[in-house]
Amino acid sequence: MKEKILERLATAVIDGDEDEAREGATGALQNQIDPLEAVEQGLSKGMQEVGRQFEVGDVFLPELLMAAGAFNSAMEILNPEIEAQKKNVTKLGTVLISTVKGDVHNIGKNIVTTVLDINGFRVVDIGIDNSPLVIIEEAQKANANIIALSSLMTTTMPAQREVIEVLREMNLREKFLVMVGGGPVTREWAEEIGADGHGKTAIHAVETAKRLMSQKS
Amino acid sequence: MIAHRAELLTQEQVQQVHEASLEILESVGVLARNREGRDLFARHGCHVDGETQIVRFPRAIVGQYLATCPPTFTYHGRDPRYDRTLPDDGPLVANSSSAPDILDPETGQVRRARSEDIARIAYLVNELPGYDILALPVTAEDAPPGQFSISRFYPALKNCLKPVRGSAPSLEEAKAILRMCEQMAGSEAAFWERPFVAFQYCATVSPLTMDVESTEKLLRYTEWGVPSFGAIVPNAGLTSPLTLLGTLAQCTAEFLAETVLVQMVRAGTPRVFDALPTAADMRTVAYAPGAIETGILTMGCAQMARYYQVPCAAFVGSTNAKLNDAQSGYETGMSTVAAMLGGVDLLAMGGLLDAMMTFDYAKLVIDGEIGLMLKRITRGLEFSEENMALGVLSDVGPGGTFVETRHTLKRARTETFLPTVADRQMRHQWQSGGALDSEARALQHVRDILRRDNPAVFSPDVDAKIRAQFENLVPGDARL
Repeated sequence: MKEKILERLATAVIDGDEDEAREGATGALQNQIDPLEAVEQGLSKGMQEVGRQFEVGDVFLPELLMAAGAFNSAMEILNPEIEAQKKNVTKLGTVLISTVKGDVHNIGKNIVTTVLDINGFRVVDIGIDNSPLVIIEEAQKANANIIALSSLMTTTMPAQREVIEVLREMNLREKFLVMVGGGPVTREWAEEIGADGHGKTAIHAVETAKRLMSQKS
Repeated sequence: MIAHRAELLTQEQVQQVHEASLEILESVGVLARNREGRDLFARHGCHVDGETQIVRFPRAIVGQYLATCPPTFTYHGRDPRYDRTLPDDGPLVANSSSAPDILDPETGQVRRARSEDIARIAYLVNELPGYDILALPVTAEDAPPGQFSISRFYPALKNCLKPVRGSAPSLEEAKAILRMCEQMAGSEAAFWERPFVAFQYCATVSPLTMDVESTEKLLRYTEWGVPSFGAIVPNAGLTSPLTLLGTLAQCTAEFLAETVLVQMVRAGTPRVFDALPTAADMRTVAYAPGAIETGILTMGCAQMARYYQVPCAAFVGSTNAKLNDAQSGYETGMSTVAAMLGGVDLLAMGGLLDAMMTFDYAKLVIDGEIGLMLKRITRGLEFSEENMALGVLSDVGPGGTFVETRHTLKRARTETFLPTVADRQMRHQWQSGGALDSEARALQHVRDILRRDNPAVFSPDVDAKIRAQFENLVPGDARL
């Protein structure tokens, strides 16, 4: 039953079907499915699939917008429940998230933002194409624990390294945990540039963020 | 000449597009955000909803005001030799306009455009025979505060005798430009007798919305009697339906709405059906002015313009290419040939790369050459008994050669178009000349022109008078 409902949510997002997404979300709550799980294992899975297909050119932008529309209409139903749950959870930490300089691809970053948020992190999303100095300045302002850097393209991956280098130069490296992610980002790359961790998927990013916070404390 | 324009629609279908545009104006209407514009529409018989600001046009009103549009539109140059009237002198070619960035001719790097770029491009357009009109090609990063437009019009007018067209962000600046032009002309009366600038406005923001400030420009320019024109710029899939026909119908309705307002202000004001219709690339909704659909839509606009008996201008020949590569050449070439065969009277088409973001000196020269090729097409086969050349054919006879005849000699310089950029050497000659590609040859041409003094520059005493009026005015010097 649960599997069916989660799959229905994913499919509704992939099809860009708002009515279907709303009905799926209502069904999830009626069947006592954890709303966070409905987002992570249902809606987000659909969104990830649409995002993947968009990046390779199989899905066109109007279809992507329809998928986001379906995602949001389901969220309207799930959100009140999620908010109610969140009240009972103390924040795990603050994450400052941005795509790096030169990279405007924000779909993956937005999914990570949502999933971190619903998993108890305070997330400050400063958008796309930000320079190392802007990212660091905003991280200081937000009093962030973690800086999360997203990069979809191999050509912009070096900008992740640059942020870490600038942190070192400013003697701020110890102040922040840095995690990296995005399509071509691997564990090897994260290690090579001296990041504290990486997220292969949105769910993995949450695991990494939680692990980093617990190691720190 | 061209005996028949390439027409994608039958006459009956043109009539139906016209009917559809009337239907749009009558039942959907236009959102007119400018109060003065709305009041004018209301006073002259349109239905205005004060709450929603929607104006609906009875068919008879559209017909009545369309009827006062004259069939021609004249561009004046500082030098009357360069005056051009549409459609009779067409097809005319203008360079493309208003890119924020430019490829530096010396470093090859992209940088913000400056007023000296405008001066240089003005001088080049003055010298390049393919161009009839100078459009303000780029913005000017170095413009002193409050002089954004003067910093663009001054270097343009200073270095070019051909007609100059462009836009001013505010009416205050438009007035300052006109004051400067009066000085250049010698007197107020002399300028207004032959106003050698034309102002552009974008009163319509697709779909079917007339903006506050640019509608005000339409109203004032029309009252003042300065030549002006409004570009209609729908983007299929985003700001118009994703069918080329639907986009043409909307574009036509938007042209008619503007035309009605212009004629309400001042009957008999010349109008041009001036359009930049495009279709978005729906994979990412990228702006794709270089797409072949731009050419197709433009052909449709030309047919509608002929139906209304007004000249047609179009922004064509754009490309999404970032440099002068094959894409740049074929995108510019194909849409401009389509537009020209479709009967567009004025093609704004020279010098832009990267979806209109970046101006390039070399491309300006290359596109000027494409402009001359387009004009050669309009000369066509030059049908006459003499040109049938039966006499020389019978003189030479089977197996002979025409290369040494007087007949050939007489026509060697005029019958065919002789390009300056395109290379026609043998490979070994081309190699010993440095194996230059078309971009390198075009840039060489740019340097050749810009290293000479520009005879078009106006006299030092006129210049001194202008500079006395505008403190800190940019130099406007074209030398490289």
